[in-house]
Amino acid sequence: MMTLKIAFRNIFRQKRRTILTALAMIVGFTLSSIFIGWSDGAYSDIIAMFTQNRIGHIQVHRGDYLDKPSIYKTMDDYESIGETIGSVKGVEAWTPRVYSAGLGSVGEKSTAVQIIGIDVEREVQATRFDKKIIDGRKIAAQPAHEAVLGKGLARNLSAMVGDEIVIVSQGADGSIANDLYKIVGIAESGDDIADRMACYLHIADAQELLVLEGRSHEVVVIVSNINRVLKITEAIETSLNDSTLDVAPWQVVAKDFYRAMQADQQGDAIGRIIIMLIVAIGVLNTVLMSVLERTSEYGVLKAVGTKPGQIFWLVICEVLIIAVGSIVVGAVLGTAANHLLSIYGITMPQEFTYGGIKFQTMYAEVNARSLIIPAITVILSAGLVSIFPALKAARILPARAMRAH
Amino acid sequence: MANTDVIVTEKITKVYAGNGVPVEALRGVDLTIQQGEFTALVGPSGSGKTTLLNIISGLDAPTDGKVWLSGKLLSGMSGNELSDFRRDNIGFIFQAYNLIPVLTVEENVEYIMLLQRVSKAERHRRVAAMLEEVGLAGFADRNPPQLSGGQQQRVAIARAMVSEPAIILADEPTANLDSRTGADLLDMMSHLNVQTNMIFVFSTHDPMVMERATRLITLKDGQVESDETKG
Repeated sequence: MMTLKIAFRNIFRQKRRTILTALAMIVGFTLSSIFIGWSDGAYSDIIAMFTQNRIGHIQVHRGDYLDKPSIYKTMDDYESIGETIGSVKGVEAWTPRVYSAGLGSVGEKSTAVQIIGIDVEREVQATRFDKKIIDGRKIAAQPAHEAVLGKGLARNLSAMVGDEIVIVSQGADGSIANDLYKIVGIAESGDDIADRMACYLHIADAQELLVLEGRSHEVVVIVSNINRVLKITEAIETSLNDSTLDVAPWQVVAKDFYRAMQADQQGDAIGRIIIMLIVAIGVLNTVLMSVLERTSEYGVLKAVGTKPGQIFWLVICEVLIIAVGSIVVGAVLGTAANHLLSIYGITMPQEFTYGGIKFQTMYAEVNARSLIIPAITVILSAGLVSIFPALKAARILPARAMRAH
Repeated sequence: MANTDVIVTEKITKVYAGNGVPVEALRGVDLTIQQGEFTALVGPSGSGKTTLLNIISGLDAPTDGKVWLSGKLLSGMSGNELSDFRRDNIGFIFQAYNLIPVLTVEENVEYIMLLQRVSKAERHRRVAAMLEEVGLAGFADRNPPQLSGGQQQRVAIARAMVSEPAIILADEPTANLDSRTGADLLDMMSHLNVQTNMIFVFSTHDPMVMERATRLITLKDGQVESDETKG
């Protein structure tokens, strides 16, 4: 108790030095907090866009469709699979899809297309398909030989709403599949690469074209809390109880994107380490000065019977008290900054793409990580750099220390 | 070693490696100090008074020789054991007072008892009595920088004596004080010595200390030149 009392009062002896030490910690904490809040906010946006708009949070396929897609790897009873998935706690929506490659022709122009058969109503619910329409309208709820083209595809084919597109492909039975569809809308998903080939058809029209009646290649699942995606994936696997089905979270579905993102986040960690190293050096300097100035006092404390360990903790306590105070101030500043950035964001002068998705405004996020990680880092770095001066104080020889007075 | 021999040194030598040239501060000092003695170590500067005081208290280690305090050999003790031993057996009074500036008068005096884990009620009782004894009853809540040199030295005396150690070691306790204050403090210490039978060992140049001391040990060039007990 007396150690704490002395430590606390020592802090106020050299106010200017205490303020400098605290400032180093506060600036380090706040920067680190903003760094994490900003990075998490940006990645959350990227993940949300990437998953919600495109791949969903979880995908279910037959066998190894993800690695080796094939028109023949289908789920025959996707409606019942979907119903089972829908009953799992945490699942918000599901939607089936049929995929195939083909050739699309509008007038004189032809190009490769990716046929995507969708259940329009479910797709609206799951991936907000209606919000992607930038011209015209979405496909009708009932199959009517209508098509929505991706923005890039429409540009390549010089197609407009009201035109007709001929799609040629291969049916699952080996026959030549071809049919004519009316273009009712143009879609922009935010993924330029996908939009250059995407040709959305009603799932029933796609099944008819590809001779896949009642079958789908994929069921896309949207969950209510993306942070629980792995647990929900397990729950779906358990509910489906079918070893021929592959249930994969978005981290597996888009593993290249996920790895790139993790590598980026590791890069961010290096930035945080550099900030904290600068803080640590500042703290070490001031604590060493403080110990040096009070050499004689530590000598007296030892002379009258204070144990080396108690002197060690006295120095550590002083630094930790300043660290705790700095964390409180830094937490207020960091949270306020992240809160403001989460509302107003920062708009870049030019759009940039990440994982093929376009972004212009970046938002921060207020989360526990942006407080816990800087707090642990400040406490650890301050505590660690104090060990050397604390040992120095603890090992002081009283007779020599008092001569230094 | 007799039962009343509280401080015993045997062939104490101390060599400092000053700038590569060894300096012999003490050269084979043999000394025995008994219960209740009021002893002054005197001698010119550099004679080894403070070094001897530091070695007797375990604040410094001898290069050679042995020190027994209350029958215990200091050289065999670890750092923590030495701390505990000093805490329980030795009270220090320094020339520069050396009070803890961030603690009040009361807390400074109480500090050693806190290390000894004396109960709160007992601590308060003893601190109050000690401050009364040294004439600082109304100064408990003051901080050391708010006190005069004489008052600070009184606090240092109170701190040294409150835990009732066997030995009080005082290094030039009156050097920073005017002669009137110094005389008052010496009278007080002399009175406490008679009252408590504690050993007082002074390192000093002050004639007032020499006058009051019951034993005068004169050091010269690191050796005991004379050892005179007054009648």
